[in-house]
Amino acid sequence: MLSFIVKRLLQALPVLLLVITVTFFMVHSAPGGPFDKDRAVPAEVLKKLNAQYHLDDPLWKQYLDYLGNLLQGDLGPSFKYPTHSVNDLLAAGLPATLELSFYAVVFALVVGLAAGIVASLKPNSAQDYISMSSAMIGICMPTFVLGPILLLVFGIWLGWLPVAGWGQFPGDKILPSVTLGFAYAAYIARISRGSMIEVMAQDYIRTARAKGLSSTRIIFVHALRGGITPVVSFLGPAIAGLLAGSFVVESIFQVPGLGRFYVTAAFNRDYTMILGFTIFFAALIIIFNLLADIVLVWLNPKMRQELRGSN
Amino acid sequence: MTSEKLLSVENLRVLFNTRNGQTVAVENLSFSLEAGKVLGIVGESGSGKSVACYALMGLIPSPPGKIESGRALFHGKDLLTASEAELRHLRGNKIAMIFQDPMTCLNPYMRIADQLIEVLSHHKKMSKKEARAKAIASLIEVGIKDAETRINEYPHQFSGGMRQRVMIAMALLAEPEILIADEPTTALDVTVQAQILALIKGLQKSHNLAVIFITHDLGVAAQMADDIIVMEKGKLVEQGTTETIFKLPTQEYTKALLRAVLTTAKPVASAAKLNEPSLLQVKNIQVGYAMPTGLLLNRKKQFARGVDNVSINIQRGEILGLVGESGSGKSTLGRSIIRLVDAQSGEVLFNGKNLLELSASNLKETRRSIQMIFQDPYASLNPRMTVFDTLAEPLLVHGIATKNTVLDCVNELMDDVGLDRRFIRKYPHEFSGGQRQRIAIARAIALKPQLIVADEPVSALDVTIRAQILALLLKLTQKHNLTMLFISHDMSVVRYLCDRVVVMQKGKLVEEGVTEQLFSAPQQEYTKQLLAAIPTL
Amino acid sequence: MSNSVLSAQLHHLEKGTSLTQDAFARLRKNKMAMTGFFILLFIIAISLLTPWIAPYSYEEQNLDLGASPPSAAHWLGTDILGRDQLTRIMYGSRISLMVGFIATAVALTIGVLWGAIAGFVGGHVDAVMMRIVDALYALPFTIFIILLTVIFGSSMLLLFLAIGAVEWLTMARIVRGQVLTIKRQEFVEAAVSMGLSPWRIISRHLIPNVIGTVIIYTTLTIPSVILLESFLSFLGLGIQPPASSWGSLISGGVETMEEYPWLLLFPGLVLTITLFSLNFLGDGLRDALDPRASKD
Repeated sequence: MLSFIVKRLLQALPVLLLVITVTFFMVHSAPGGPFDKDRAVPAEVLKKLNAQYHLDDPLWKQYLDYLGNLLQGDLGPSFKYPTHSVNDLLAAGLPATLELSFYAVVFALVVGLAAGIVASLKPNSAQDYISMSSAMIGICMPTFVLGPILLLVFGIWLGWLPVAGWGQFPGDKILPSVTLGFAYAAYIARISRGSMIEVMAQDYIRTARAKGLSSTRIIFVHALRGGITPVVSFLGPAIAGLLAGSFVVESIFQVPGLGRFYVTAAFNRDYTMILGFTIFFAALIIIFNLLADIVLVWLNPKMRQELRGSN
Repeated sequence: MTSEKLLSVENLRVLFNTRNGQTVAVENLSFSLEAGKVLGIVGESGSGKSVACYALMGLIPSPPGKIESGRALFHGKDLLTASEAELRHLRGNKIAMIFQDPMTCLNPYMRIADQLIEVLSHHKKMSKKEARAKAIASLIEVGIKDAETRINEYPHQFSGGMRQRVMIAMALLAEPEILIADEPTTALDVTVQAQILALIKGLQKSHNLAVIFITHDLGVAAQMADDIIVMEKGKLVEQGTTETIFKLPTQEYTKALLRAVLTTAKPVASAAKLNEPSLLQVKNIQVGYAMPTGLLLNRKKQFARGVDNVSINIQRGEILGLVGESGSGKSTLGRSIIRLVDAQSGEVLFNGKNLLELSASNLKETRRSIQMIFQDPYASLNPRMTVFDTLAEPLLVHGIATKNTVLDCVNELMDDVGLDRRFIRKYPHEFSGGQRQRIAIARAIALKPQLIVADEPVSALDVTIRAQILALLLKLTQKHNLTMLFISHDMSVVRYLCDRVVVMQKGKLVEEGVTEQLFSAPQQEYTKQLLAAIPTL
Repeated sequence: MSNSVLSAQLHHLEKGTSLTQDAFARLRKNKMAMTGFFILLFIIAISLLTPWIAPYSYEEQNLDLGASPPSAAHWLGTDILGRDQLTRIMYGSRISLMVGFIATAVALTIGVLWGAIAGFVGGHVDAVMMRIVDALYALPFTIFIILLTVIFGSSMLLLFLAIGAVEWLTMARIVRGQVLTIKRQEFVEAAVSMGLSPWRIISRHLIPNVIGTVIIYTTLTIPSVILLESFLSFLGLGIQPPASSWGSLISGGVETMEEYPWLLLFPGLVLTITLFSLNFLGDGLRDALDPRASKD
């Protein structure tokens, strides 16, 4: 198992390098430097700032310098907020974003799987249509439409939940998490419905029924193991979308996460921030994909054995 | 021993609502099963034999299927009106079932131990320890060696025959009174089938089980059953003891089934031109195929020997049978001859020219002369082309017919294979399996090839249809002076059609000889095993 | 086989029902899919006819009126500058749909060619091509697109290319998978053994059997693209004012949603309904073209 993980991590390194390189050169090739946007800066001061941050060095040198720093874990200072390093800013926003994403995934899994399994038990019945229509709403209503609507209904009109904040008011984590997780719950519901229907049609489920086992046991012990595989496959790459979606949710609900920082950094040409965040996200995505792959292997007895080397 | 009626089925009627309308799967079926006896239910596909038994167990999927009427009395209780809870109590406990495909019938995600133990813990409330011990004993009884360690393994670690043994062990764990076996050996190799049949027979006697044995193979039914019922299109056609059915059949369908069971030698003389040089000479051919072992780590390709140093000759006018079980390499050999698969070494001389060395353009010319008929009538025709298109394509591409003459040629082909000319604008999915195979045969003979390679062309067909197609092939080979390489796993089919036979096992050539001589006096051990495994009437 | 003499000769024979006809019959029975289809047609029709049928002009402001709720004069209300929402949504549909279709066309072209070549040629070529797809799949594209649009400004062209560049990967994988499946079918082997040229095999045997899958996934890609564009516009990165797609209309609506909820609800509803229709249609196509069903 260990060698599998190591091998995959090694394979991921070139991809990470690619991301860093592409991002670096993309950012630097944009017209205008980080300090051009500020209120008219006198030419001398501009020159000094650029020298201080090595912005007048040849591009390739800046690139190598950046890589060097990166290896030491130093993401550099933020151009917009020079007193803070990118690492600091990341650390400041990360907990909220991670927590939000975590709740969203938990919500998505619990609600999505429940809806999908319930729908798969009686295809083309009422419970199926209701479940899948709700899922369709989740897929077709973008986060940035759903969020405000939920806010409007539950926060403003009904007044049940707080409209902003994170950890400051009781229940203020509910709306953002649900908003972010809803689309994923929808996808998981559809995927798990499809795969559970397929699994339940398999011969080995017929065998289980012929053995006289209870429906609960058949669904949860026999069918679920096979049925859950496509959901795991989906979740791995979905993390990328989840992070992107969190930007929107954070701005709508005023959650102090990384999302807001990222978009403003992009607007401000804050090179180091952009680079730092992009690399961080890319690394997160790679790790999550790896985790999902590991779970997939663990679920499949054939592959599990291959890794242990036994047969 | 009292011959009490253990199970009594009366006027069973089962309907299916598909998107094409309603079909009656089982109509007015009545039969009874006595304790300790084996009842064989024989029929082709669509006969309703499996549906009837699934209905007894309540295993028919309810939205499309529906049990309209009838009774099935088991110890006085009507199974068809029993509640789901009552049925669950009986399933796996008093009435057990084993199915056709052992590959897919065991849960690939669970260990064998867990799948066995759950039967006992659910029905007999045994502790895990007790259940495990009983399960191990059961595995030993069905012939699984090292049961103590193997019980912890997963299904994919067992071979097909072993898996079926596990299924049988699982079914017998709770000491049921009735075992329903739905075509349990159809998916297995002939030699393995013989072992499993013997196993079931032995267990039936030792456990005094009542067995319902469903099969399409009359020979198997003859071996296993005390009484037989014959079904066709949902109806019961005939019933009686095994002896009366086979010796004194009364119904036309039963007689047709019996006729279709081939036990005879080739009815016409060989047309082989023995004095001419061989039409096809295969010399020392080696075909290895890459097997990606290791799904994740070792993506190296391992070379398995598909065909290991095999040489055969075919004379013009001859029908050569190529026989073997799965993994024997017979299909690979056939495909390598027409270069659908690449051989690593060896020669394939066709009319003196080595096919393996031909360039692409020359190959096209030669391809006219060797055609192939495939096994699966559903997959071997392009679903988006009409019959006319399928048959006209080779004729037009190779210039045998022009746009003016092609229709006549196609009509002739349709006549040749016994299909109505009016159907040429229809699509493959509108035909039955047997009709599709006729179209495939028509396509193969369209180019008037010198050699036809037929890869298990009747294996996927029902018994009665099989007989028709074989008769058709025989007629065509005579009419058009065809030479054929006939690949099959079925010895009796080979005996009916082929002049000479070649036997393969695990990629190697085991024995060859003139058909009747091979059948009456086989030399090699494996050939003897194959012949002994044929279920006899 | 289309030759007038031949057609005349065949004409009197009973024609069979092709799989495609079967599929359409099934599709027509699927109420949700047909509803989606007609709604889609309606929306497309409206967006095409907008310059002629829009009640007001696009920029026409009515500062005295300001933001007003739906009324007889303005069916969907007005925004802060007194601009008619219905008109703006109609013009927005032109942009959103255009981006949807064109970007999908880009993704389609690249994806189908890539996947088909990889699948058909097989071997090393296939391995290399799919490795590239796998590597690209791992990149955080959404983030890249955000960067791109910020850095290079959001031209329509860039938007098409960027979105297309994200979506072609899935299409390539699906097409390759389908090509591989078809390639293994025996009727393709039969075609090879008949000595047909590779071109003929591809055009007559492979493509007709792959097209169904391509159509399904194209129909499912369009909503994905529209969603992505709306997302970018919402963040302020996509279409720039004064032109506005549904995404930017929604973005504006969010800012004032407490006071003027209709500015958020109507564009949001229209976007959601469009996506609904496309998805239902795509699902319906998938069910209708399901090969398993044709074996009945």
